[in-house]
Amino acid sequence: MKNKRQMLWSALLKGYGVLFLVFLYLPLGLIVAFSFNANPINVAEWTGFTLDWYATIFQGASVEGNFDAAFTESPERIFDVIRTSFVVALSAASAATVIGTATALALARHKFFGKRFYQALLLLPMLVPDIVLGIALLIFFVGVGIELGLMTIIIGHVTFLSSYVFVVVSARLAGMDTTLEQASADLGAGPLTTFRRVTLPQIMPGVVGGFLLAFIISLDDVVITYFIAGVGSQTLPLFILAMMRRGLRPQITALAVLILLFSLIVASIGLILRNRKP
Amino acid sequence: MAGDRFMAARKRNALLLLLAPISIILGIFFLIPLGIVVVYSFLEPGLYGGVEWTWYPYNYGRILGWPLNDYEEFDPIYLKIFATSLKYALMTVVFSLLICYPAAFWVSRRSERWKGFVLFLITLPFFASLLIRIYAWLLLLRPTGFVNTALEAAGIISQPLDLLFSGTAVVLGMVYIFTPFMFLPIYANVEKLDFSLVRASQDLGASPIQTFLRVILPLTAPGMVAGSIIVFIPALGNFIVPSLLGGAKVQMTGNLIERSFLQSRDWPFGSALALLIMASVVVVLMIQTVKAGRAKGGRPA
Repeated sequence: MKNKRQMLWSALLKGYGVLFLVFLYLPLGLIVAFSFNANPINVAEWTGFTLDWYATIFQGASVEGNFDAAFTESPERIFDVIRTSFVVALSAASAATVIGTATALALARHKFFGKRFYQALLLLPMLVPDIVLGIALLIFFVGVGIELGLMTIIIGHVTFLSSYVFVVVSARLAGMDTTLEQASADLGAGPLTTFRRVTLPQIMPGVVGGFLLAFIISLDDVVITYFIAGVGSQTLPLFILAMMRRGLRPQITALAVLILLFSLIVASIGLILRNRKP
Repeated sequence: MAGDRFMAARKRNALLLLLAPISIILGIFFLIPLGIVVVYSFLEPGLYGGVEWTWYPYNYGRILGWPLNDYEEFDPIYLKIFATSLKYALMTVVFSLLICYPAAFWVSRRSERWKGFVLFLITLPFFASLLIRIYAWLLLLRPTGFVNTALEAAGIISQPLDLLFSGTAVVLGMVYIFTPFMFLPIYANVEKLDFSLVRASQDLGASPIQTFLRVILPLTAPGMVAGSIIVFIPALGNFIVPSLLGGAKVQMTGNLIERSFLQSRDWPFGSALALLIMASVVVVLMIQTVKAGRAKGGRPA
């Protein structure tokens, strides 16, 4: 009797779990499937397979015989936007990785006055709503007289990405055996040598994982970038936001799929590295 | 002795070197800007988008009810929009909690191999572009979208439903976006849950509902609270979701802030609104800290 009830519960739970994953992935799956749909007006009504939307992103001009494929954005503009995004994400993630790792080392391996202050401070950028950080940086940059552009976007991203890398690398350091570091120091190696030969190789998966995840977060950031980008530089998410506000075009779906695949692949590698047992 | 002191000095220098970058970054580009927002919220808006450096509490007055005479009227609309934001943020918290809670139990019962993989699958969407996840719902909900087409094909409706540009769409979008935020803290808690306590409760004759209410729920409450806070904060200040899925019909405080900064260029007013959001966040965090402290002190478990 009791067993039967437990089996029913466990079956229900299993069914629910599958539904939960469907809820997470079905919307994304639908975008992918219907980016190949030839029907430009009703995305949900399948009228045939096409690659036109992908083709027109990078060609600009209309595809012969398919009026709806006409796309007003020039390919140069799109490449320009993609380049800006990558420059920002690479610079911001690199800087944040160095800063976040250094901070994690300081907090994990040193005792000092004010340690708890730093621990709280590092959580703050993740607790302050994006929009507040965005406007705060906007007022600051304009007030100090730094022209909004590539530089301000990178600085803005470094502030919140450093905390993120800090959390990832700290987790790695906490799970690490410190006896090797002590042995290295006892054998006369300097702190720098110990770090390079002993600590760094052990935390490397965490550092690389943190870098990749920071890279993707930077690449995808909308809100903070929205306020501090200025008029001259546009990142990929801002570009897509502007396109979405002008009206839905099938090309947005195709571009969305490309970005989605890229983000998911890089984030997967990052997550796998982050989760690898030390 | 001298060597010891030398080592100590070296260690201190290493520490300073390690802490210098983060201190500069968070000091100059985080704490100072936040401080400036506080200052700005008490300054008078200038004529052409700038500020006048005079004490001016009426930015808050416009929102809360003490406007500067007849020049700027008190309009309860701002408070009403703030109340709407609170409502949508709370709804987002409740729905994502309901969705994630059973899911956490499901994952915790998987075998080690599956667990890792399922956790990976649940975390991954967090790294899919926010805009694209919203875009997916735009395609799902619009009149010629998946939901309406499916319902029409099934013969349930004859006219497309007006799903997009509503409060429902906004809450749905936010629940979707913040699900990984809610799931992970709950899961971390459920995973640690000692099932022998559950069995003890059952053996002592408690009904399943009693066991759930008296044993499972209190033991998993910390994870639920943590998840709720992590979802509530970004939901309250959100402006991307309401502006894309809410259209002109749904206004949240985030939309007001955005407009004050980028359109009407009334930065002091926008700063005051932003601090209203920050104040709510601080209140929530303080309640949590006090409650957590009391739980620790009061129950020596």
